[in-house]
Amino acid sequence: MSRNHRRAQCGIAPPDLLGRLAVEGDAQQREAAVRALATSAAIRSQRAVMGRLNRQLNLNLGQMIGFTVNPDRRLTIYDNQTNGRTFLPGVRVRDWGQPPVQDEAVNQAYDGSSATYEFYRDVFARNSLDGAGLELVSSVHYGIAFDNAFWDGAQMVYGDGSGRIFQVGGLTRSLDVIAHELTHGITELTAGLVYSKQSGALNESFSDVFGSLVKQYSLKQSAADADWLIGEGILVPGLGKALRSMINPGTAYPGDRQPGHMDDYVDLPDNNDPRNDNGGVHINSGIPNHAFALAANALGGFAWEKVGKIWYTVLTTRLRPNSQFDEAAQATVDVAGTLFSATEQDAVHNAWKEVGVLS
Amino acid sequence: MKLTIRRGGGLAGMVAQTELDDRSLPKTDAEAFAGEVARANLHEQPEPAAARPWPDAQLYEILLEAAGPPISVHYTDETLPESVRLLVAWVDGRPERVESIEQ
Repeated sequence: MSRNHRRAQCGIAPPDLLGRLAVEGDAQQREAAVRALATSAAIRSQRAVMGRLNRQLNLNLGQMIGFTVNPDRRLTIYDNQTNGRTFLPGVRVRDWGQPPVQDEAVNQAYDGSSATYEFYRDVFARNSLDGAGLELVSSVHYGIAFDNAFWDGAQMVYGDGSGRIFQVGGLTRSLDVIAHELTHGITELTAGLVYSKQSGALNESFSDVFGSLVKQYSLKQSAADADWLIGEGILVPGLGKALRSMINPGTAYPGDRQPGHMDDYVDLPDNNDPRNDNGGVHINSGIPNHAFALAANALGGFAWEKVGKIWYTVLTTRLRPNSQFDEAAQATVDVAGTLFSATEQDAVHNAWKEVGVLS
Repeated sequence: MKLTIRRGGGLAGMVAQTELDDRSLPKTDAEAFAGEVARANLHEQPEPAAARPWPDAQLYEILLEAAGPPISVHYTDETLPESVRLLVAWVDGRPERVESIEQ
């Protein structure tokens, strides 16, 4: 028996109304609306609404989710203390500028978030996820032996890993995983790519692209030297070397279903079935991932300088929530011509041709 | 009574299955298992719909096979009710559970 019920909306004003009041209301209405948005469980789940408010109404995400935008507090780490969702963010354990603590997961989340912040600031002149200094909030030790890390629309959340899929402590150890999660925040606040099928696979791919670039930037690696792996070494031994390979999709672990070409696109329904992955978002992301790695290798040098800049410009200025592969591909070709020369444009075009998205 | 927890999506995009059959448990533990299942109240837990999942949130299918027709419910990390989360944690802590990664 499978049942579906609509979520009750009792006593909650529509987020769009609250958003308008937060922007257009008088001082009292603004305060009440912002408080309602900040404390509403519903708004935390409605990222499309949040992203749209942020983009169209210029409503600050920090106000919406209750985290103060404070230029002196770039990031903060919390300890969920093996509780679950209702305890987020948890107990504050390390503020911006404070020295390392005994808990290695706290320090890893701190260092990874800081490195990601610095990458976006130094390479793309972006001040945090919203471009306006939003405090980066992370919670570690989420749940009990929790085998996942995710972006919840407001913050990063890291489990400890169970030792059955992820190594214990592995999820905060990987800089590209941390940057992957933070990039979901940028995507939400810019293109707003819907997390389903092709737009969802693009959402995933942008997180992998910038996850990998943050790692390459921290190691000062050229495209040729990069391993193009996501989550290298965080799976338990025997399960696989990484979560995904951008340069050779489908080879990260035995059973990896990622395609590297449109001929092998896996058309799955988005029906809440765990086997279908929101319509294959972590599967078909292999195709745009492959295109990025091919373009970066064709141009050589540091991938964040040219191809990364093209992809960043497309994510933050060209795409919309329901963009598909072909639209994203054409946008990267167009932007390559605008930002650089025919050489870069050809390299990007050829990469998308090689993965079967453009002809 | 058998409970099957299937988890997919997540950061890894892998599909993992965990099963626990009360026939594999000592009698007192089987009774405790039945108590955990009763507290989770799968019959009465609504499946939230419409909201988009958090990026990299896990998707859950929980299948209960006991007397009567099987019950299958779906959640995400966002919507998993606390009582069901506790049931999942209880099952994850049992050495008799059977786990597999679906390829």
